[in-house]
Amino acid sequence: MTVPVDWLEKAIEEGNKLGVSYIEARYVRKSVNTTLLKNGIPEIGAIDRGSGIGIRVLKNGGMGFASFNELNKENMEKAVNFAVKMAEATGEKRKRKIVFSEEEVNEAKYSALGEKGKRPEEVDPEEKLKRLMNLDKIITEVKTGAMIPFRFFQTQDETETKMLITSEGTRIESEIDRIHLFGILTAVNPATGRKEQMMIQKGKAGGYESFDYWNIEEYFEQQAKLLSKIVTEAKPAPKGTIDYVVGPNVIGIMCHENQGHPSEGDRILGREGAQAGESYLNKEMLGQKIGSEHVNIVDDPTLPGSYGYYLYDDEGVKARPRYLQKEGVFYEMLHNRESAAFMETKSTGAARAVNFDREPIPRMANTYLEPGDYTKEELIEDVKLGVLMYNFTEWNIDDRRYQSKYVGLEAYLIENGEIKHRVARPVIEITTPKLWSSVDAVGKKELLEFDAATCGKGEPMQGVPVYHGGSFMRIREVLVR
Amino acid sequence: MVSTDDIAAIFDTSSKKLTELGFSDFVLSLNSRDRSQLRFADNQFTVAKNWLEVSLSVFAVKHNKTVGFTVNDLRLEAIEKVIKNVDVLAKALPSNPNFLGISEGPFSYPVIDQILDPAFDDFTDKAVDLVQGAINKAESEGVKRSAGVLYWEKEANYLTSSNGANGSYMATSYEFTIRSFVDSKSSGQGVSVGRLASTMDFEKAGEEAGQIAKMSVGGENGKPGKYNVILSPTVAADIIAATPGAANPFYIEIGFSWLKDKLGEQIGPEFLSVYDDALLPNALGSRPFDDEGHPTGRNPIIENGIFKGMIHNTSTAKKAGTTSTGNAGIIAPQNSNIYFEQGDHSFEELMELCKGKPTLYITSNWYTRFTSYVDGIFSTIPRDGMFLIENGEISKPVRELRISDNMLNIFKNIKALGKELQQIKWWEVYTPTFIPAVLIEDVNITAATS
Repeated sequence: MTVPVDWLEKAIEEGNKLGVSYIEARYVRKSVNTTLLKNGIPEIGAIDRGSGIGIRVLKNGGMGFASFNELNKENMEKAVNFAVKMAEATGEKRKRKIVFSEEEVNEAKYSALGEKGKRPEEVDPEEKLKRLMNLDKIITEVKTGAMIPFRFFQTQDETETKMLITSEGTRIESEIDRIHLFGILTAVNPATGRKEQMMIQKGKAGGYESFDYWNIEEYFEQQAKLLSKIVTEAKPAPKGTIDYVVGPNVIGIMCHENQGHPSEGDRILGREGAQAGESYLNKEMLGQKIGSEHVNIVDDPTLPGSYGYYLYDDEGVKARPRYLQKEGVFYEMLHNRESAAFMETKSTGAARAVNFDREPIPRMANTYLEPGDYTKEELIEDVKLGVLMYNFTEWNIDDRRYQSKYVGLEAYLIENGEIKHRVARPVIEITTPKLWSSVDAVGKKELLEFDAATCGKGEPMQGVPVYHGGSFMRIREVLVR
Repeated sequence: MVSTDDIAAIFDTSSKKLTELGFSDFVLSLNSRDRSQLRFADNQFTVAKNWLEVSLSVFAVKHNKTVGFTVNDLRLEAIEKVIKNVDVLAKALPSNPNFLGISEGPFSYPVIDQILDPAFDDFTDKAVDLVQGAINKAESEGVKRSAGVLYWEKEANYLTSSNGANGSYMATSYEFTIRSFVDSKSSGQGVSVGRLASTMDFEKAGEEAGQIAKMSVGGENGKPGKYNVILSPTVAADIIAATPGAANPFYIEIGFSWLKDKLGEQIGPEFLSVYDDALLPNALGSRPFDDEGHPTGRNPIIENGIFKGMIHNTSTAKKAGTTSTGNAGIIAPQNSNIYFEQGDHSFEELMELCKGKPTLYITSNWYTRFTSYVDGIFSTIPRDGMFLIENGEISKPVRELRISDNMLNIFKNIKALGKELQQIKWWEVYTPTFIPAVLIEDVNITAATS
């Protein structure tokens, strides 16, 4: 099925007739296939086929958005008319008018597709299911000292086709395949009844070759063994003032929550105030020191094969890597054209909309801590008392992104520079400035890894695919009560 | 909106195709909605939105293999194509031993009062002024800026099944949230939701948001420790209603619930009773039939503190040796409205009960996450005004604290309930919940260490 370019052009024409200062029409078609496996039993195989057009306009300093999925003249006109009328009515009441930053007009077409024969629609459903069921079999058959009675897995593959046309002449067309695997495992120690849970998330732009890229069978076996060891062996975590050496999974979530979100232009402007919240950072803090010189945090949508991959954002701005923190300095924000204009700067190509029926707002893509020079051994060798924390379970952060909590899953005691026994549920409950200013060393690039996640923000909610990651980093002198 | 003739054709074509391909059980649901939104921040409107949406969702079974699809291209040839795709999918699946049938009709459905209001036929022009009124009200309380959202919606739902269920209903709704700020750390929130325009009270929500924000000015960092805690209905709808929300057999089977093997146990105080009630007037989760076409109702989850029952679809009910509660979702049972019976304490009386004990009043929260769902170990972050209560009254605002506790503990430690129920649904609370303020003893409160 081709992109209905004529309907996009008609919508632009209709908006222009109504005197808008800007109009965009964005078509999105998603073809999604999902399989749910509950304790080894396929609960349902599901297919979701959705498409439609989202219209966004600026008029009179106000913004209107409308979407429709049945492509006909009546719906198109109704959508454009609602967007224009409401932009006008709400713009009239605004003291500060909404405008977009001036950006280059782009025309481009790009794709990120699965390998030949591995694209979502090319792989036989039976083959997909067999591979998923085999993962469950691996979990149940691996010999450990624990049981894993609760297992829930979901695989989702999708092909997303998009076309954006704007009244300024931008035309961007893209096609991206994505694979996502989510799971939750619960291990029980049969001797004590103690339980531990682990979430698994894997995601990538591409096709079913991703399962091989992840060595998925080996990975599941490792995770089952690991969870079983934690539930049978982990001892209480140390308290007092200790050091932490944290791995890619923990660094990734910290980069996402403690630096990515507070760097979003719309949050800083208060536009998300009643939902995802605001930010402890502000425009005046740009250029100020907010971390140690070892901290360099980048958000880069252009990483090939990444879960947050795109080359042009949903406003047609060319994507590029953004330094959110550079040598400990708050360096730049994540902007769409609206937030950029309010801050009298340029968009940083961060506008993302998860579907045709959502507005493009500033989002992260692939956020990570740039590697340093240290080996893992070097990071650990001068820690007197600390915890080596590979990954996390529970986490949260306040809506200014100031005070955060991370609970470890796979973690070990470090004593006098040596890794000792496993520890259970170590907690880092720390403010963002304390976190970034306490980093005194970062692991080398060979240790760099990424995890996939779905980032939630917006109203209505827009869960967008992202990567987050890093190598290893050392956080000095964290007080644990 | 889709015409009656079109719906009949869609149902007829889909049913014939599914039957022809050998599907023995199926449910077809068509939803058509006209939903709008007005968002604001910094006292100004940021965007107005409208969604014209129509979609067909199908659950179908062939040789006990369970498949589903959703499609929003309702041309008959497009639907037939997707049905062929799910047939291929069904062939790939093994039989699902968890599927034990869908509800056998025909049924007559309950008539629910106050779920449809013609006032929403012509509401767009009124929305701006109503929201502006709430912003102005908050401003009059002394706040500098407010942010928030209003949704309003008209929807039509049609369902038919292979097992004789046939039904339809129309409904309207609105959801309003306002969050007001005196400064970046001093904020308050108000919520007003329902199905009838006459029950909207956005100014009251604005007033509440403004008052809490104003009261929270000058707050200092609180100290971690054990506290008695009074939760506003907004917070209680998240972390207290989570326990009746976990009374779901699907969640129990995948390790997402802390209620496994607790049926029949005393899990809360004797004065506590909670229902899943799909028949409440003016309630956002009310509906006459579930996703199988089974009639909905009012079902006890907790009575006098005892865990009495779970929500069920036909399959989970048969497995548990009971009958469907009319809570079928496409995949898992789903709550309609969670309804707590009100208590008999005024807010002042709840504060009075805390005399002599360190007590917090928490007005809003977000970001509830779990270390272990099966054990109920979680934490959540208070946001907006949070206050110390001393000598039976609010003494001063505090900040930067976190509830880090266990769902079973906090439910068991409920000490008293307020007498005013409020319907809550907002960004952080998805299931419409009727709940009063709740007093809990000995809640573990933590804080960032530096």
